[in-house]
Amino acid sequence: MAATDTQVRALSSRSLHTLGVASGLAAGAWLGVAEAPTKLVTLGFSPFLISLGMVAGVFTARWTLPVMIKGTGYIWLDLREKPHLVLWAVLAGMLWAVANTLTVFAIRNVGLSIAFPLWNINSLVGLFWGWLLFNELRGAGLRQRVEVLGGAAAIVGGACLLAYATSHQAAPAPGSAAALGIVAAVGAGILWGTMYIPYRKAYISGMNPLSFVTVFTFGELATVFVLAAAFDGGLRHVAAELGRARPALFWLFLGGFCWVLGDLFQQYAAKYVGIGRGIPLSNTNQLWGLAWGALFFGELTGQGSTAQALIIAGSLIMIAGAVAISLAEAPQAEQVSWRKVIERECSRYGLDRERVAESMRGGDPLAGEQTGHRWWEWLIAAAAVGVFVWLATQAEIPPIEVNLAWGVVLAAASLALLIACGLLLWKRTRFS
Amino acid sequence: MTLPRKSIARAIFTDVHFWIPAGVLVLGIVLLAVVR
Repeated sequence: MAATDTQVRALSSRSLHTLGVASGLAAGAWLGVAEAPTKLVTLGFSPFLISLGMVAGVFTARWTLPVMIKGTGYIWLDLREKPHLVLWAVLAGMLWAVANTLTVFAIRNVGLSIAFPLWNINSLVGLFWGWLLFNELRGAGLRQRVEVLGGAAAIVGGACLLAYATSHQAAPAPGSAAALGIVAAVGAGILWGTMYIPYRKAYISGMNPLSFVTVFTFGELATVFVLAAAFDGGLRHVAAELGRARPALFWLFLGGFCWVLGDLFQQYAAKYVGIGRGIPLSNTNQLWGLAWGALFFGELTGQGSTAQALIIAGSLIMIAGAVAISLAEAPQAEQVSWRKVIERECSRYGLDRERVAESMRGGDPLAGEQTGHRWWEWLIAAAAVGVFVWLATQAEIPPIEVNLAWGVVLAAASLALLIACGLLLWKRTRFS
Repeated sequence: MTLPRKSIARAIFTDVHFWIPAGVLVLGIVLLAVVR
């Protein structure tokens, strides 16, 4: 019992909470940055093709970054130690892809201003699953509960205000089509919220987020490809469209690359502060997307005073929500509840309790077992860089007026967060 | 320490947590078929 208490105390250390919060905020920034390159894709491509192009970029980056940070030998050892999580990671990737496709139909039927708030409930769904299945907030005091629940609600509410104020008000489709659009948006929110179950499952089993995303991306890419083929005129049509979209593919790949950086931080947030706290924090990406849209692309020029007031109010509410969650460090009693869930996973899947506990404390039990980088890993990195360079040579810059000064400021702020949070993760956990 | 393959399959498929995302995924695919 004494050993367990010691582990729990180590787990509840402020530095791990800070690490998780920093990861959540960095995730918000980079998931927001990912929207910027895709705004340069103005040609008339179907949403399926844009999604497929971006996910192909995601796939490329998701294979390259983990391989370069940890090496294939490390990823392989991690997967061999927890083989049951391979299926969970593929399942999570499939959930993401189906949810993403549902949003396409939701926007088509009811417009972004109605659809976005509905699918944005995903963080509340994740919070519910975190409480129900992973004992998150169990044992927490009233203050922490209010901060987490109120903070999550504020982030969702603020995002809804921003979506309402900034989206162009298209007339929703009549009758049953509108109803289906609403059901599709709610369905996407539930699918994304449920996708966080595999996330948390992986991390309370001691898996490294870099290993998880390496498998996740297979489920994601395969499902997006199948859905594009099924809903976008068959394989031959998709292949032809991909060829036609070549001048735009670089921007989609770049968006995908930024998205991977944000997603990795989101995974570390889910690992170190749980999905109830980590996911709402990373959902502040709406603020960053708005900043890029308004300041770099000048999208809000000519907005009325009501819209501007809504935007300011929505942004402040989101910031207040993020601050509230940042202050809600899990108390000792909640950490004990987490520990019970970890024990449950170890019993069910035959995991080594000490190694899982070490991983949850930010340690890396596989560090001593991994071999160095292999020569083919440099080939993988070179191939990925080659793909990006080749696509860049084919890329066309659309004639869109942008504010370069704001672009530099936003890029510098995002890079500062990337470096600060990356260094924090490296120093504290070696990206464990 | 790793469980044998059969035991892993049994552990996954008797884990009620697995059937929540799996069920939601199936419902999502059905919803897609209806919405399109």
